[in-house]
Amino acid sequence: MTAKSAQLYLDDPPAGRVTGDYCPGATGRVSVRGVGGTDAVLAARLAAGDDHALADVFDALGGSVYGSALSVLGDDNAAQDVVQDVFIELWSHPDRYDPGAGTLRTYLTMMARHRAVDLVRSELRRVARQERSYRLAPVTPAPGAGDQAMAAHTAGVVRAAVQLLPVGQRQVIELAYFEGLTCREVAHAVGIPEGTAKSRLRLALAKLETVLDRQLLESP
Amino acid sequence: MTTASRDPSELPAGLRERVLAASLRARQAGRPVPDAPEIPAEEAFSRAADAFYTTLRGLDGDWTRPALRGLDVQGLVGHLIGVENDVHRCLSGDPDVADAGHVESTQAAAISHAGLPPARTRAEWRQATDRTLDLVRSADPAAKVAMHGMRLPVRALLLVRAFELWIHENDIRQAVGWAPSVPDASTLRMMADLAARLLPGAAAQAGVHEPADIHLVLTGPGGGTWDVAVGDRQPDPAAVTIVTDTVGFCRLAGNRVTPAELDLYVTGDAELAADVLAAATKLALD
Repeated sequence: MTAKSAQLYLDDPPAGRVTGDYCPGATGRVSVRGVGGTDAVLAARLAAGDDHALADVFDALGGSVYGSALSVLGDDNAAQDVVQDVFIELWSHPDRYDPGAGTLRTYLTMMARHRAVDLVRSELRRVARQERSYRLAPVTPAPGAGDQAMAAHTAGVVRAAVQLLPVGQRQVIELAYFEGLTCREVAHAVGIPEGTAKSRLRLALAKLETVLDRQLLESP
Repeated sequence: MTTASRDPSELPAGLRERVLAASLRARQAGRPVPDAPEIPAEEAFSRAADAFYTTLRGLDGDWTRPALRGLDVQGLVGHLIGVENDVHRCLSGDPDVADAGHVESTQAAAISHAGLPPARTRAEWRQATDRTLDLVRSADPAAKVAMHGMRLPVRALLLVRAFELWIHENDIRQAVGWAPSVPDASTLRMMADLAARLLPGAAAQAGVHEPADIHLVLTGPGGGTWDVAVGDRQPDPAAVTIVTDTVGFCRLAGNRVTPAELDLYVTGDAELAADVLAAATKLALD
């Protein structure tokens, strides 16, 4: 394409609009003012689809995101998966980050922690399901070393949280989840109506989630 | 291990590449969020014309305000009537408009409207743009046409025209003290795309010979990213990233702002970036 055909053929600007040290047609250098590499600029670049910005964010904050996930999970592979989820989320929905609400570092590391906590919860549910299935069908393949380590970690966290519950609620949780009893069996074992057992279980689970969130989010 | 501020060099091997690749599979690079729906060039021109007409209809006794090149608002609209008439001749294959001067060819039309009732000038301009739309609807968008020194497809000509209408609409708005207008995201993206793709030619015209790969990032509605090579073809071109907002870049290409007036974020050779941005103003006709 020739320079000639590159012209858009718009007219001169109004007199006086060309200001400062810039003059069209001049051969000298001009200066430009920058707005710096703030989080707001990074967010705008990400929204524009700038993959260089994504790499810049990873290089600056990937370590913190990984560290945040690892501190909750204690498992390298799971932490790497969280890092990937966090960056896909940032890249797919950059508009969800509001630079006015906090730094990008805080946004990403908190997202990593929340996702890690979700993973722990999911793992807890899996462990509980697995314990119930062991009771029903004792002969199952032995879990791998990684699974065992993860399960031990999460089980430790959840058992500590259970100890914080009031006695009545702790009792029904232990019977339902660690002993694998049904709600009716729990009610019979404790000597309370089945409706009361269900109510205590609901309350206990709600408190447990709050306690687990706080414990995991405040972990170093 | 202190996990809260882990050195990236300590990250597991391959994690960076895996994460970046997975992210780019989820969303292609260069696609803005939110994305601007693609529209035909004819639609972009039609929208720019509607916006221009809305501005004209809002003018009260302001048609004699100085606007551009010694023309008042009415003279500027007359100039655009002249441009539209040249477009009609161009689309009809008239070779005389191929190398006609943009200003010279339309000056008579601009002057002829002085003193006429504004409503008549406005109606003539509307009729002229409607005629353009009628002609392009029966034209092949990819067909090459020639006008005012440009050789370009009909589609690109319509974008050039949309660009000019927006620029002049804002000349008028500034003349009467109104706030600037901004095109819709789809039209803006097409204008930005046109200007970005013309940057190498503009840089050559401005005498920018230093080879550089320019990673242009335009932010805000209608934005996106463009990778353009400027300067002479040589090994190891400089890598320069230029980030600015889309509207500002389009105003730069229309020669309505200077590089120094833009909010910019530049990595690489800042002086070379400034030269390329200054060259972008060459896209407008002096």
